[in-house]
Amino acid sequence: MLRAFSTAATGMTAQQTMVDVIANNLANVNTSGFKRSQINFQDLLYTQLTEPGVEVSSGITAPVGVEIGNGVRVGDTTKVFSQGELENTGRNLDVAIQGNGLFQVTSPTGELRYTRDGSFQINGNGELVNAMGYTLGVSGLSDAKSVAIGSDGIVTIYDTSGGSSSAGTIQLASFPNPAGLRSEGNNLLSETLASGTATLGTAGQNGLGTLQANFLEKANVQMVTQLVNLIKAQRAYEMNSRAIRAGDDMLRTANDVVR
Amino acid sequence: MSNTASNLDMLMREFSTITHNMANVNTTGFKRRTNAFAAALEAKQARQNGEASEELEMYAGLDFSQGNLVQTARSLDLALSGKGFFMLETPTEPLYTRNGVFHLNENNQIVDGENRLVSGQGGPIIVPPTADASSLYVSPDGIVQAGELRLGQLQIVDFGADENKLQAVGTGAFRAPEDLTPDDATGTTVKQGFQEGSNVQMVPELVGLITVSRLYDANMKYITAKRESGESLMNVAMG
Repeated sequence: MLRAFSTAATGMTAQQTMVDVIANNLANVNTSGFKRSQINFQDLLYTQLTEPGVEVSSGITAPVGVEIGNGVRVGDTTKVFSQGELENTGRNLDVAIQGNGLFQVTSPTGELRYTRDGSFQINGNGELVNAMGYTLGVSGLSDAKSVAIGSDGIVTIYDTSGGSSSAGTIQLASFPNPAGLRSEGNNLLSETLASGTATLGTAGQNGLGTLQANFLEKANVQMVTQLVNLIKAQRAYEMNSRAIRAGDDMLRTANDVVR
Repeated sequence: MSNTASNLDMLMREFSTITHNMANVNTTGFKRRTNAFAAALEAKQARQNGEASEELEMYAGLDFSQGNLVQTARSLDLALSGKGFFMLETPTEPLYTRNGVFHLNENNQIVDGENRLVSGQGGPIIVPPTADASSLYVSPDGIVQAGELRLGQLQIVDFGADENKLQAVGTGAFRAPEDLTPDDATGTTVKQGFQEGSNVQMVPELVGLITVSRLYDANMKYITAKRESGESLMNVAMG
């Protein structure tokens, strides 16, 4: 009986974690470049009470064993890197990635971070930076009249006299396993052992996506799917709590016998 | 009396089985454990209108019926429609699973959530670094392609009627007994962008839960009644 209680408790904990993940997805439904997380459950180890194939009486073997499961655990939460919708913002420094790849940005302390959020600014030093002030490696934009970002990532500046020059290129990074990247908050991701190392490349080449200026990529969270999952989690939670109550009733009956 | 005690023990086990099924109602690729003991006991006791006279065997098999396919649109979420299993490679032995939520590891190989290599026909499938996971295409017969490039074919196997001999090892995987070797699955299709949901259905499990707790109640009361009648007999004998 004690096993049944803890089994049902693992069910409740797992569903609660699912609600947490869904809540975060829903909270970020309007966050540009946000990638939703998907929770994956796994069943826990089994207690083998009888192994299949053991001899139950002379010459007769059990066709199947008796195994009792111990519940469920959260296997992993995976970020799903599917394309989000592109939204026209009309702002020339908003850049969306259409396809695979991530922007690589450098923090003031020199750490590399990766993001799909392409809402960029020009800082006081004339460098192209993200909302956190992390640089993209494109500079010299301070006295530009206007800036254009091409689909291949080349940043062209137009000066007041009508001339144009290139200020650098926004490169895209790709990973063998982007789902293995660690979320750092502020729409930033960092490399881990599981993600593999970043390969930098030019947008539109070697399977990398193209850039689209004047657009932002919206979150790839679908409200309805998330709400359906929320109901699933809630019902499963309820059901597991019911199992605990039923178990409690059974124990009370057993107690009554010896009273 | 001893039969009643063993029935109570079995009911308790069945209760554990049901709670385990319930805990896994949202677990991808999970296959529910059948719990036929309570039903058999109920039928027997209704027939005899009293205590079961012979011991009933508990049959805790696996129910391999198809779970619902849920669309996720993730390119490495694969679901099997029809009988069969994905094969996983581990250092000790192959394992079998219906949970097709796969990833790429740091070596660009297709792995499951526990970082076990997914078997292809002729070794694990390696995705070239130029292709990324979201651009992979998996055909219904399990051929994995990056654009035009064929990377390999997933090993989908089937145990036929012997699948009940599989032993669950947790983490969605099953182990086969040594004398059991699978065949290639026929007529099974791979659905890309889908997950196979757990085949646990809430209502039947809740009904099972109620049945077990009621039977438990009834058998406990039987013990109480026996004890009380035993006591009154003793009282008569002792004067």
